[in-house]
Amino acid sequence: MAADARRLRRRHSVKRTGRRWVAIRKLSQYLALLIFLVFFVMTRLGGERAELLALPMRLDPLAMLAQLLSSRAWVVGSSLALVTILLTVVFGRAWCGWLCPLGTVLDLFSLNRWRVRSGPPADSWRAVKYSILVVILVAALLGNLTLLVLDPLTLLFRTLTVSLWPLLDQVVLSLETLLYRFSSLAGPISTFDSWVRPDILPTEPVQYRQVWIFTGVFVGVIALNVIAPRFWCRYLCTLGGLLGLISKAAFLQREVREDCRGCGLCTDACPTGTIDPAKDYASDPSECTMCMDCLEACPRSSVVFTPSLSVAAWNEYDPNRQKVLTSIAAGVAAVVLLQVDRFIGRGHPYMLQPPGGTLNDMLTKCIRCGMCMRACPTGALQPAMLEAGFEGVWSPILTPRLGYCDYACNACGQVCPVEAIPPLSLADKRLQVIGKAAINQDTCIAWAEETDCIVCEEMCPLPEKAVRLEPKELVREDGTLVIVQLPEVLGERCIGCGICEYKCPVEGEAAIRITAIEGEIVY
Amino acid sequence: MQKFTRREFLLSLAAGMGALAANQFLAACSRIADENGSTSTQAPTVTVKTPAEREGDSPAKEANSVPMETPIGLPDMVVARGAGGDDVSPEELVRRALVGLGGMERFVSKGATVIVKPNICVGYHSYEFAATTNPWVVGALVKLCMEAGAGSVSVMDYPFGGPPEQAYAISGIEEQVKAAGGEMVTMPRFKFVATEIPQAVDMRQCDIFDDVLKADVLIDVPIAKHHSLARLTLGMKNLMGVIRDRPSIHRNLGQRLADLTSRVYPTLTVVDAVRVLKANGPTGGSLDDVQKIDTIIASPDIVAADSYASTLFGLRPDDLAYVQAGAAMGLGRSDLESLTIEEIAVGS
Repeated sequence: MAADARRLRRRHSVKRTGRRWVAIRKLSQYLALLIFLVFFVMTRLGGERAELLALPMRLDPLAMLAQLLSSRAWVVGSSLALVTILLTVVFGRAWCGWLCPLGTVLDLFSLNRWRVRSGPPADSWRAVKYSILVVILVAALLGNLTLLVLDPLTLLFRTLTVSLWPLLDQVVLSLETLLYRFSSLAGPISTFDSWVRPDILPTEPVQYRQVWIFTGVFVGVIALNVIAPRFWCRYLCTLGGLLGLISKAAFLQREVREDCRGCGLCTDACPTGTIDPAKDYASDPSECTMCMDCLEACPRSSVVFTPSLSVAAWNEYDPNRQKVLTSIAAGVAAVVLLQVDRFIGRGHPYMLQPPGGTLNDMLTKCIRCGMCMRACPTGALQPAMLEAGFEGVWSPILTPRLGYCDYACNACGQVCPVEAIPPLSLADKRLQVIGKAAINQDTCIAWAEETDCIVCEEMCPLPEKAVRLEPKELVREDGTLVIVQLPEVLGERCIGCGICEYKCPVEGEAAIRITAIEGEIVY
Repeated sequence: MQKFTRREFLLSLAAGMGALAANQFLAACSRIADENGSTSTQAPTVTVKTPAEREGDSPAKEANSVPMETPIGLPDMVVARGAGGDDVSPEELVRRALVGLGGMERFVSKGATVIVKPNICVGYHSYEFAATTNPWVVGALVKLCMEAGAGSVSVMDYPFGGPPEQAYAISGIEEQVKAAGGEMVTMPRFKFVATEIPQAVDMRQCDIFDDVLKADVLIDVPIAKHHSLARLTLGMKNLMGVIRDRPSIHRNLGQRLADLTSRVYPTLTVVDAVRVLKANGPTGGSLDDVQKIDTIIASPDIVAADSYASTLFGLRPDDLAYVQAGAAMGLGRSDLESLTIEEIAVGS
């Protein structure tokens, strides 16, 4: 009897230890997600703390490594990624289980209730992430970063920027508009609004084109949870793959003690499905996210995480020579194929770069994180679709009809974690020539309809305006004499900020448009 | 976790989607209403009064409509000028001008909700460039309102370049307003409400910022500056900041500004001509275009204030289409000769 009671007590204390570790892990996850969100919100307009804002992105070793390989330029701040590497060397893939904000989102939307009966796909699918990883690194060596769209941090940040925040804004605005109609609620709604705007939600809407693609990708990543918990992390996440390879030699490793009775509760509890009953409930440190769920599940204290200096065994799905060589070949072929595109060299006439950026910078440095788009207060920076070829997909493109480059703002360069957009002072940014405006006299109200408009001239922010109004006497068809102020662009002054194109009252395509030029960067 | 989230999730989903759907539905309803409205307005039931007929109207007492009658013994307008010297304080100019008009108490009663509407059209430059209203002029007005016992003083504008919070900060206005005890308010989209303009000649309906419609007192504080279509941006042009649909008002700008003025008539207009922008307006950016003339024009008659301000640029009141239209609608007087104007020299 006494022995039984002792065993029971011990079992309870084991349970408590496990539960405590899981609670701490969850706390860490939520905190990390919260910090990520706070950084996201603060990224708008940059500000004096801009250098700090790049911190989460710079902790991402995959993005930083790929960027380094591709641009051959060392961004000092990117050394922060070594912190994550070090963390992984000591604790294995703890990043994935304890910190990664996308991983936390996938835990929050685990979709456990809707899980398919057929069970997770074969373990060989775990190799996919390594293949993509090798392709990314090979492509990066050849100056291409397209597949960084699949990095978990860029994926989440980009989705928040382009899709989730505008959607939240829309919902809040709808609620406000609706409730404001009731006069008794007008006061509280105004107060609420003054809390959330302009710090959390902007006063003016900032929206992005093709939101459904970005939303679709994100929803898809979550929906894969139906097939297996953390499907993304198991099979697809390239950052997870990179950290997984390092974790093979991690200092802290999970071990199953000999007193394990093989009840299998840990196998059921493991969100990455790496606890293999056939191998005495051992796990692969490349797959284990150190989430401690098994510790909580184990009714005895058979699961321990202990220091170990050994390197874990290679599994069938881990990269081998053949797979790596195939991936290298695929990466080289893909990059060459993209280079053969007729698109390159001719350029897209409306492919406008962020201020101070060049197309080459965008292709070789941009990690597609979307921080510049978030920072841009007017929504001028939009994710490129195919304007820069497939290579430039989801890098920023300045789209004046959707938003203009604010003359008082240099936030995009300040927040860019990899200096793809150079961090220019406001005075320097104002000198950058993004493109040149040109007037279409066939559609311009003043030229075509002989009616005063002047909006482009009015809006031009330059101290010496780049749009000049030339008063001309014109005889209308009905014989009346009118004086119309005809706008003309002074090309040598224009910096291509695009506010004229944005504000042009002509419906559809603006009568004044910014065209890309072979610009020189002015510092 | 699971049991907890499903209900929560469904509830918040329902709330969000419900709001979106309801809003879409109501928007659709108002579109139908608009269509009905436009068919009814095709019948010319609104008769426009001639200025002569308006003369006979008694001054309306409601806010936001017509200037109040000048009490006996007070001037129609006060112009305060710095009497040379570099150290003329804009605040002193404002204070003296208001004393001349009979004190802020004449316009602001105890507990009143006051909105001060400066020109913060862009956030590109500091006040020296004269694209935005002088911060100390705005600050002085806020102080005077607080001293008169105003319940609240909010300051706002709806910039066309850059986000408002940026423009508020760079213009220097935010700092002075806060120091004076006022509040800087941004203008969210949902508060622009469709508003009839009964007196309008051309623009009969417009989305106007609700707080401005509801306020007890509206103080219009434009900076006097160049504009290539309106020629000058003054008090009536500055009222454009309370609406959202800028492109539509640009057609027939003069008349439409007068129409708007008839609906949001400011209690007091204070034209800031401490520095004036003579070219490259409304955005400015070059100090060569700026002239410091240390002048404040204050009047409850916006047409009169704008008329006087036009002379600072060597123009006649009738050179401004909106002044012409405003005078024709009986919104105020542009015949400067018939006004009683008190001119004050301030300083050494």
